[in-house]
Amino acid sequence: MDVDRISSDESEGFFNDFIDEQLNDLVEDIINEGDLDRGDASGSDLIVEVDDIEPPTLVYGDQGGGSSGQGGGEPGDQKGKLKFEVPFERFMELVANKLQLPNLQKEGQGKIKEVSYHFKTFGPVGVLLDKKRTFKRALRSSISTGVYCPAEGRFNVEVRRKDRRYKVPQRVETPKFKAVVFYMGDISYSTFGERLELEKRLLNFTHHWLDFNYGKNNVEHRFFVHDIEAYEVTPEQFYQVSNIGGTRASLVFDLVSNIAFNEYDPATTNFYGFYVGDGELFGNDAKEIVEIIKERLHPMFNRLALVEIQPSRMSCLNTEVSKAFGTDRVVRTCALKNKGEIIKTIQRMFEARHA
Amino acid sequence: MLSLRSDPKLFELAQRVEYFAQEKFNMTLPEMRFFILDPMEFAALLEKNVYPTSPINIWEGKKIANKKHRIESGQESALYYEVVQTGNPSYAYLNETNSALTQASVMAHVAGHCEFSELNVLHDSDQDRTEYVMHLVRKVDLGRHQMGERRYIDYWNACESALPFIAPNSQYNLENSIDKETTIATSTVASDKAPAADKQPISLIDETLDALLKPGTAKPFVEMEKKRERHEALSRRGYSLRAPCQDILGFLRQYAPTSQAEHAILDYLYTAHMHQDFVIRTQIMNEGWAMYWEKKIMMELFAEDSVRGAIDYAKVFSGVCYPRPYYQRNPYHLGYHMWLHIEELYREGKMSLDYHEETDLDTKQEWEKPEEKIDPQACMRHLVKSITDYEFLRRFLTTELVERFHLNRLDQRTAQQLGIKNEDIIKADRRWVWLRPEPIKNEMLGFFAHFYRPRIYIIDTDYLDGGLLLMHRDDGRSLRADWIRPTLNNLNRIWKAPVYLLSQDKLYATRADGYKESTVKGVTFEAVAERLSKQQQPFKI
Repeated sequence: MDVDRISSDESEGFFNDFIDEQLNDLVEDIINEGDLDRGDASGSDLIVEVDDIEPPTLVYGDQGGGSSGQGGGEPGDQKGKLKFEVPFERFMELVANKLQLPNLQKEGQGKIKEVSYHFKTFGPVGVLLDKKRTFKRALRSSISTGVYCPAEGRFNVEVRRKDRRYKVPQRVETPKFKAVVFYMGDISYSTFGERLELEKRLLNFTHHWLDFNYGKNNVEHRFFVHDIEAYEVTPEQFYQVSNIGGTRASLVFDLVSNIAFNEYDPATTNFYGFYVGDGELFGNDAKEIVEIIKERLHPMFNRLALVEIQPSRMSCLNTEVSKAFGTDRVVRTCALKNKGEIIKTIQRMFEARHA
Repeated sequence: MLSLRSDPKLFELAQRVEYFAQEKFNMTLPEMRFFILDPMEFAALLEKNVYPTSPINIWEGKKIANKKHRIESGQESALYYEVVQTGNPSYAYLNETNSALTQASVMAHVAGHCEFSELNVLHDSDQDRTEYVMHLVRKVDLGRHQMGERRYIDYWNACESALPFIAPNSQYNLENSIDKETTIATSTVASDKAPAADKQPISLIDETLDALLKPGTAKPFVEMEKKRERHEALSRRGYSLRAPCQDILGFLRQYAPTSQAEHAILDYLYTAHMHQDFVIRTQIMNEGWAMYWEKKIMMELFAEDSVRGAIDYAKVFSGVCYPRPYYQRNPYHLGYHMWLHIEELYREGKMSLDYHEETDLDTKQEWEKPEEKIDPQACMRHLVKSITDYEFLRRFLTTELVERFHLNRLDQRTAQQLGIKNEDIIKADRRWVWLRPEPIKNEMLGFFAHFYRPRIYIIDTDYLDGGLLLMHRDDGRSLRADWIRPTLNNLNRIWKAPVYLLSQDKLYATRADGYKESTVKGVTFEAVAERLSKQQQPFKI
């Protein structure tokens, strides 16, 4: 029998391909439904369910169950489910592929390093003795000196100083990327019901997407709200606080620019800013925002997106900002009217654009 | 996968096992080839129907992915003991993680299986079986390239739907159901009715006059017409149906219009799975036989000190032979103890007319009149050569044995779950419930009628001009409704013509114009069989 190894790897790969197809379909469903906030904010693995497959045959109606049929190679549509744990990164990769989102440009390379030590080399001096290598050398020299000679009944192995081999640590530096994300929300408008839902979905995805690109531990997420004042809140408060009254959005841009400039090193940090609100601003507010962006945020930020959620005829923020920045590489303006536009909005927020 | 020769100690052990099996116990053995596998190889082998290779398919992939997950998460042990593919040569696979003691017991067990397959009336030991299947795998692989990936997958999946319908050892197998152009089958399906009266002697009177004188007899021209139709069907298609055919995949493999690549798939699937029918029909005898000889050979190995650890072996043996209730059918336990019982019957002369005619209970209980000429093991081998599980149980399983083997014993919780009625319970304690033993034997024999599966037969191969008509033999249970349509679609893909299914009073049809369900007047299986035997159309709307 000319078989070296019995394995089902090919068939398993075939099955895994099928599961990948199912996952892609699932992602497509999620994207079409706009449910991009699946999974919690911790970025943990996702449990996904796809229809189980089982070849249909003639069985008793009251037996088995729990599985659905597959007619002509098509997956069934009810009852049985196959459960899979999909790593968060894998899920986001699939989403990114479907949305055709580019990887975010990471700046600060070479300035911040992550240092680790690998024991890949060996030397005659050191702290950690490599017993295996030392013994090999000792055995070799014992044979050559005749200390070890089984034929003559001598089984001693002499370990001399020069036989000793130590593990030598080698410093490995890998570039580390750091990012800070500022979420800015207008709490003066009626952020409840569908508006709040749209805002959550959009920002949740943004949160995951940046975590995925930079690594969860390298991104700091900060939340700010404004009415006629601007202040920082916790992530939980961001969706809970509300106010009815006047509004001045330029304050929050001003606050963010101060924090970004004073608390972070622009040379080593990637800055992202996302503003959500109804865009109804009064007086010179919009113009002041344009000024702040132009003078202070634009030179520092990798991306700054302003999203008008369910805008009205009074909304003017995007109009003003668009006039000033047009097809700018950093600044994006979008309007999100309903759930069906989430995908388009995300694509617009993150699409690559060359100046 | 390593040859047994890579481990000299195991190789020597295998030789001792073969020595005792052949020289001491006169076992009839084919060449046995042992290989050593690691646990994952073992898992893969099981998913490949105990052949070292198999064509790529999604179902095997699903099962192995699931099995790996279960093994890695500790839900399933990777400690398989033995797997054997009988045939000549037989291939047996040992798990590298097992101890020498376990390996020896596995090899002894394998010897039992090999002899059983060689001797049994169903003779499940063909020449170069494993090699032939590996050859078919190569043909399927070649066919896959010819068909293209998509068509290959679709066709394979379609064939999977017909896999449960393999019945080469059924009363209604191909041999008994199909007349071929070249060989019109001589064997017939046994009829419950009395044999037909002998043929009339040749009449000297003219046939026409004879018909007038005996109006009850069939008219000669009608007979001739039927004969002509039958010959026409034979010459057109090369076969005709003479009885319902239960071996549906076997039929499709031979008579469905297929390309070479499609035929290779059908051929592989049928050949790789057909032996399961033998296993299910002989499992109790077969496992019992293997356990019986395993123990005999192991005792010899312990005696000569080839292996050590008799106590450990006894523990494992009793674990394998742990009694289970009748519906769970632990074939190791039941088979082993049945063979011991039969050996005792022969040894003590209880398989004699005198014993059966003895009316005094005391004498019967203390009966021990061994007949010198009778060798119990030779008699047991004769049984292996002549019967399968059904007859084995029918002939030897008594009410006393049902109780002795605890076949009527259930744990309290299961009894509650099953809703066992009080009148069926003869005794109970805190842990167990004992059922009335009398109906158990019939329940166990009932399994061999249906194997817990619906019985599906081909009853017409030219229904409504070229359609394949299947019939579900009504046993009061309905088929799973949502699987009928995809199954018929899949069979339609193989048959390449309309496929119909008659189940109770419903006729399901997959044709070029789509899928249809209609209510019809039901017909019994017996009536269909009768009509087929008379070469009449088995079912009409």
